[in-house]
Amino acid sequence: MKKNKINLFAVVLAAAALSTSCSDEFIDKTPTAQVTEDNYYKTADDAYHALIAVYDLMRKESGGFENMIAMYNAGSDDFYAGGGSPSDGAGIHGFDHFTLSDSNIPRSFWGDYYQGIFRANVFLEKLPAIEMDANLKARYMAETKALRGYYYFQLIMMFKNIPLITQTLTPEQFYNIPQAERAAVWAQIESDLNDAVNEAAVPNMLDMATEAGRLSKGSMKAILGKVYLEQHKNTEAAAMLADVNGTPGGTSQYGYHLLANYNELWNIYNKFNSESILESSHTQKSNAGWGNWGSSSDEGNTLNVMVGPRGYSAGTGAPAWETGWSFNPVTESYYNFMQGDPRFNATIADVAALVAAGQATYSPGDQDTGYFLKKFMPTHSDLTDGGGDVVLNYRQNTYTIRLADTYLLEAEALNGTGARAQALLDAVRARVGLPSIPVTPQTVLDERRRELGGEGHRFRDLVRTGQAATVLGPLGFVPGKSEFFPVPLLELSNTLIVQDPAYNQ
Amino acid sequence: MKLLKLRFFYFICLLSTLATWAQDVTVSGTVTDENGLPVPGASVYVKDTSDGTMTDIDGNYKISVPSTGTLVITYVGYADQVVAVNGQTTINAQLAPSDQAIEEVVVVGYGTQKKSVVTGAISSVKAEQLESIPVNTVGQSLQGRVSGVTVFANSGQPGSGATIRVRGVTSFSGNNSPLFVVDGIQTDNITNLNQNDIASIEVLKDAASAAIYGTRAANGVVLITTKKGKAGKLTFNYDGYAGSSAPARKLDLLNAQQYATLRNEQYSNGFTSGTFTLPYPNAASLGAGTNWQDVIFNNSAQRSQHELSLSGGTEKSTFYMSFNLLDQEGIVMSDISQYNRKTFRLNSDHQVTKWLKIGQQATFTRERNVGLGNTNGEYGGPLASAINLDPTTPVIVTDPSTRPNFSDYSNPNALMDANGNYYGISDAVQQEMTNPLAYAQTRRGNYDWADNILGTVYAEVTPIDGLKLRSQVTGKQAYYGTESFTPRSYLNPNNSTTRNNLFRSSNQSFLWNIENNISYSKLIGDHNFSVLVGQAAYVDGISRGNNVTYFNQPVNNHEDASFNWPTIPADIQAGAYTNVENTLSSYFGRVTYDYKEKYLFTGIVRRDGSSRFGSNYKYGTFPSFSVGWNLHKENFWKDNRYVNQVKLRGGYGVTGNDGVGQFNYLSLVNGGYNYTVGTSGDVTIGNTIRNPSNPNLRWEETTMINIGADITLFEDLNLSLEWYNKKTDGILQDVQIPSYVGASGAPYGNVASMKNTGFEIEASYRKDFGDFNFTASGNFSTLKNTVTSVGEDREFTNGPSIQSSAFPLTRSAVGSSYNSFYGFETQGIFQNQSEIDNYTSADGTVIQPEAKPGDFRWADLNNDGQITEKDRKFLGHPLPSFTYGLTLSFEYKGFDLKLFGQGVGGNTIYQGLRRLDMQNANWQTTALNRWTGEGSSNTYPRLSTSDTNLNFSRPSNFYLQKGDYFRAKIIQLGYSLPNDVLEKVSISKLRLYVTAENLFTFTKYTGFDPEIGGDVMGIDRGYYPQARSFMIGCNLQF
Repeated sequence: MKKNKINLFAVVLAAAALSTSCSDEFIDKTPTAQVTEDNYYKTADDAYHALIAVYDLMRKESGGFENMIAMYNAGSDDFYAGGGSPSDGAGIHGFDHFTLSDSNIPRSFWGDYYQGIFRANVFLEKLPAIEMDANLKARYMAETKALRGYYYFQLIMMFKNIPLITQTLTPEQFYNIPQAERAAVWAQIESDLNDAVNEAAVPNMLDMATEAGRLSKGSMKAILGKVYLEQHKNTEAAAMLADVNGTPGGTSQYGYHLLANYNELWNIYNKFNSESILESSHTQKSNAGWGNWGSSSDEGNTLNVMVGPRGYSAGTGAPAWETGWSFNPVTESYYNFMQGDPRFNATIADVAALVAAGQATYSPGDQDTGYFLKKFMPTHSDLTDGGGDVVLNYRQNTYTIRLADTYLLEAEALNGTGARAQALLDAVRARVGLPSIPVTPQTVLDERRRELGGEGHRFRDLVRTGQAATVLGPLGFVPGKSEFFPVPLLELSNTLIVQDPAYNQ
Repeated sequence: MKLLKLRFFYFICLLSTLATWAQDVTVSGTVTDENGLPVPGASVYVKDTSDGTMTDIDGNYKISVPSTGTLVITYVGYADQVVAVNGQTTINAQLAPSDQAIEEVVVVGYGTQKKSVVTGAISSVKAEQLESIPVNTVGQSLQGRVSGVTVFANSGQPGSGATIRVRGVTSFSGNNSPLFVVDGIQTDNITNLNQNDIASIEVLKDAASAAIYGTRAANGVVLITTKKGKAGKLTFNYDGYAGSSAPARKLDLLNAQQYATLRNEQYSNGFTSGTFTLPYPNAASLGAGTNWQDVIFNNSAQRSQHELSLSGGTEKSTFYMSFNLLDQEGIVMSDISQYNRKTFRLNSDHQVTKWLKIGQQATFTRERNVGLGNTNGEYGGPLASAINLDPTTPVIVTDPSTRPNFSDYSNPNALMDANGNYYGISDAVQQEMTNPLAYAQTRRGNYDWADNILGTVYAEVTPIDGLKLRSQVTGKQAYYGTESFTPRSYLNPNNSTTRNNLFRSSNQSFLWNIENNISYSKLIGDHNFSVLVGQAAYVDGISRGNNVTYFNQPVNNHEDASFNWPTIPADIQAGAYTNVENTLSSYFGRVTYDYKEKYLFTGIVRRDGSSRFGSNYKYGTFPSFSVGWNLHKENFWKDNRYVNQVKLRGGYGVTGNDGVGQFNYLSLVNGGYNYTVGTSGDVTIGNTIRNPSNPNLRWEETTMINIGADITLFEDLNLSLEWYNKKTDGILQDVQIPSYVGASGAPYGNVASMKNTGFEIEASYRKDFGDFNFTASGNFSTLKNTVTSVGEDREFTNGPSIQSSAFPLTRSAVGSSYNSFYGFETQGIFQNQSEIDNYTSADGTVIQPEAKPGDFRWADLNNDGQITEKDRKFLGHPLPSFTYGLTLSFEYKGFDLKLFGQGVGGNTIYQGLRRLDMQNANWQTTALNRWTGEGSSNTYPRLSTSDTNLNFSRPSNFYLQKGDYFRAKIIQLGYSLPNDVLEKVSISKLRLYVTAENLFTFTKYTGFDPEIGGDVMGIDRGYYPQARSFMIGCNLQF
């Protein structure tokens, strides 16, 4: 009996030993389908999707509540912040009144473009080792550099001093990056964009069906032209932009020419038209919901619902607009300035007139004037029939750069003088049936205000041409301070980042 | 018989022979108890065999025994009697109550210990304490009943769990919940455990006790032992109650007239330019308006529970089986807040031979949960809506043309009630706030379901006395999913669905584990040794699931919606996932020693290897030891009436925490960084690295010193005292990185350290005064949590934010309690301009030049003459400084009264019920005491649409309130029918009772409920409050 029991004991022990003998293997797990840094970045396909992640941030122009266009419009003399109440969007109201502080500046203006820069840095480090067509690789490399340059350009325009990061950081570096000199950032932007435009693998024109929304040689040069101009390097800017623009009124080597009908620029189905140089691409097909609103997976245009009149209800004869949130109401001064211009109706929705005529009703929001930003008005026909929340899935693309913009920038770079500047100004005016007027720096600036109204250019135009203090001063603009946003509070915590001294008063 | 037995042995272990055996004789007799009364159901068997019988109702038995054999007579609660047959044919036995039964036994990891020799800090809850008490989850069973454990309900939504913290908090972002071990099974989810099945709950609070669970023990271990059958007669038990719940408290919100008046005042104060148009020119005529709380709360939400169990068995085989049905409606929008749970359990144990024991536990649980969708969020849902919606909007609108926003009602998807009238849509308060009745329409028919099947089998072999081998295999299969229909609807301009959809998700997950251990105990003279060594493997997270959505159903209500409607492929969306399992491989051992039960020693070591950590730190080792000294067993101890027993004990140990997700040490590439390329409008997936890697990711490590004493005074008063100091290092967290790093996900790192220290006391007292019995037990614990490091590269870690506030509400910094509230300090209100002008810094600068009378005077904490983010300070912490519980019970003849209350103190709650970013949101009536002119208020600032002084948008002590409360949790009055009546109908127990749950709560907190759980406790964003319930019940046993 005893012996048998001991035998059994041995059996149990052996079983126990068996089940334990595999522990190293047992606890060594690798993720499946969830790819790691080590098993990704292998194929051309991996490279393409990594490139798309870099492009993702192009949506910020008009995607999400904290988008560039609504923000920059609010900082100009043409539009108010608006919204439901003075506290609806503290950041946009802060910029409107020039009362931005470290606590009301939305973090995303500082952080979002750095996500694009991080993805560009990762990709630039990984791309050389990927086995793929050399030409394609060179093109991806150029696009990524150009995007990094563009994102830094956006940042340096918003913030006075920013960290310059061109490699992925190690954890030890995370908290120890100081801000760079502005000159160093500008140099990096120029270097990236020059590398890009000099890359032969970048096509002059894109295959629109599959590539629309990506950077071509023309769009890269347009960005570089802007970069020069913002630094007042007018000669370089004029040369670069001339290359993009070609003969005023004609078709450039990149296929750009002005649309015959200005109104067609705002047709939501007329994406990637011949006047478009670079667009912020949107779609209804990402089925964006409130949960992913403003994130990397939200591809809807948020500007649309933002500028719609609150509680808008169309009666007979009124346009079929959707109700929105009443942001960026048109200022009285811009309404008056645009009187008589053929572009008035494409730019300003006179809802006050519709109400007066008994054709529509709406609930006035904050800073209401009755005038709304027509170019991006949410329309009934643009409503999504897909998933997600309807107000988050408008599909209108917005122009980051279009030909009329680069025409006028070149005219400005030419100091608003000379035959070519005159021809550029005339071409923009002629397209809407306006006669020629003598070109001067002021007529170019005024033309930009009319042509590009509500597209987010005005604030930078005023700063760049030195008129911000005069024009915006009465609205609260403080020269030497209001040109830039303050660094958000949380970015100052635990880091070497120091606040713009103008905001430390 | 012999042949059968032989076969059985061969079946089990292939070989066997039998002991020599002799001629059988038939023995009969009667078994009686200490009073000479017959004992039915006593077990009588032949020593070293499995031959046996049981006594009948009169205590008689008859058995066939070898003439040289020995009889063993056993009965639960009595000492075994061993009688040599020696040719006798009549053997009567009188049983004596056993000391063993009186000696309390405590469940420890992988075994039990006599309470007298326990050296760790272990608190227990016994089944008797939970009997007939309406508890549904382990959290509720523990709350207030043991020291050192803080429990906050996660929500008043029926079926929701609780935030359970044993001796404080040890992790920033990992799991802070204790490890739950149910009958030896380590399990993740215990919300579905039927509390009536529990025989005892033991909480291993100190590291010396918990170290045997190694890497998962840093947050304490909760051992749950379920009921087993007892040899003897079958016992049938029914326990059930039914009752109704109502909200214990509603907020005092403004009525329409008050609201309109304040809105007008707010508008006037904020008016700067343009046309002056009061929002409510006729405020005085608006009357009471809508009280949205009346719309959402149900004052008679039904709840009931029915429990049936049957247990019994023989000396060789025992079983316990139970069925439980729980049905509960929530008090908020009961239509869309319900919980239903059915559980079934079968436990059985079989003494196959004298040396082999086999047993099993099997449970099945089915849950159906209908939830509100948002129970503690400021972003919508019925609670937040009821608090924030303006009272001027009617619940039902009969004539939309009279409404200022009549165009909203012309939307084809605006919802109507059964009478064809529109649900009111507020024109003043929108965003996520919606008419709760309309909201409920969009969630009708939605529910989550879960089926859990858990099974364990164990075998115990005792080859020689004192040596035991035990193997246990467990598997748990869970199926769960969601069914929902979202109709086309228009709740307000921001909540509109134009494309309805029917959604189904189904998931399954499996976990298994195996544990083997060998234990040996031996008494050599006065030296008592035991050794345990074991090995275990755990695998969980073997899960997969899928979901599908059908858009554009041809019908628009959940009853008719169906996946069987013809649907075009473009309207079908689906998703699926498969998870990678995570594994843990372990070895553990324990040595205990005592000398005459005077000097006690326990030593434990465990080594774990986990798949969750980086290649450099896959393994961790966790040692512990503890010692004890029973003073009263010393020779010098003089027996006296005052101090009867004293045991001193102390221990030290190391435990770990692996409560982080899989593969955090790797740099993962994720999708979802998308862009739209080309003209099709299709989204192209973008992939990038989510977070940097960290091959040095390792366990969080907690070391604890515990010193305790168990003392018995005056024979009837038992005291346990504990003091502990607990240090946690290498706390894992997703390192908060500056935005410029650009990674969209944060890496994990072992960066922080924390300390918890506290004092605990548990006391129990029982005294019988003739027919009157009195029992009291209570506990009191203190807790001091201190962050000792947040990483070398920074000074603090920010906690969560609320709404659109630019400042996080909490911060963890060296020297502060984990996630303490951090904000501005108000110093009253400027009553007039001269107070503003005179509020200057040392050099004469006016500190708040922009302020107006009626604004807060902010403390300039750094004395720099301006109010900036640097003028913030710690303003309190959400973790209670002390918790306590008290149970009193009285019995007189058939009547019994049980009172149970618990409370916490020293904590702070952030009352964030009103949306900051919604100027038009309703107010609580405290706003009526706002500043309206000099001397009107020094605590509540003026109302204005342009809050330039940031009175309301800065997190400050204005929003913080004391979280102290004491709650009369249970008051129960019962009556048991007398035995002599019951015996006539063969019933052994019939008790009727009435229970009041949460009858009253003493607190100064102004929200619904001061008990606010969650990872960061104490932030009230519109918490689903706990209900007050009244129930009647019945307990029947035969």
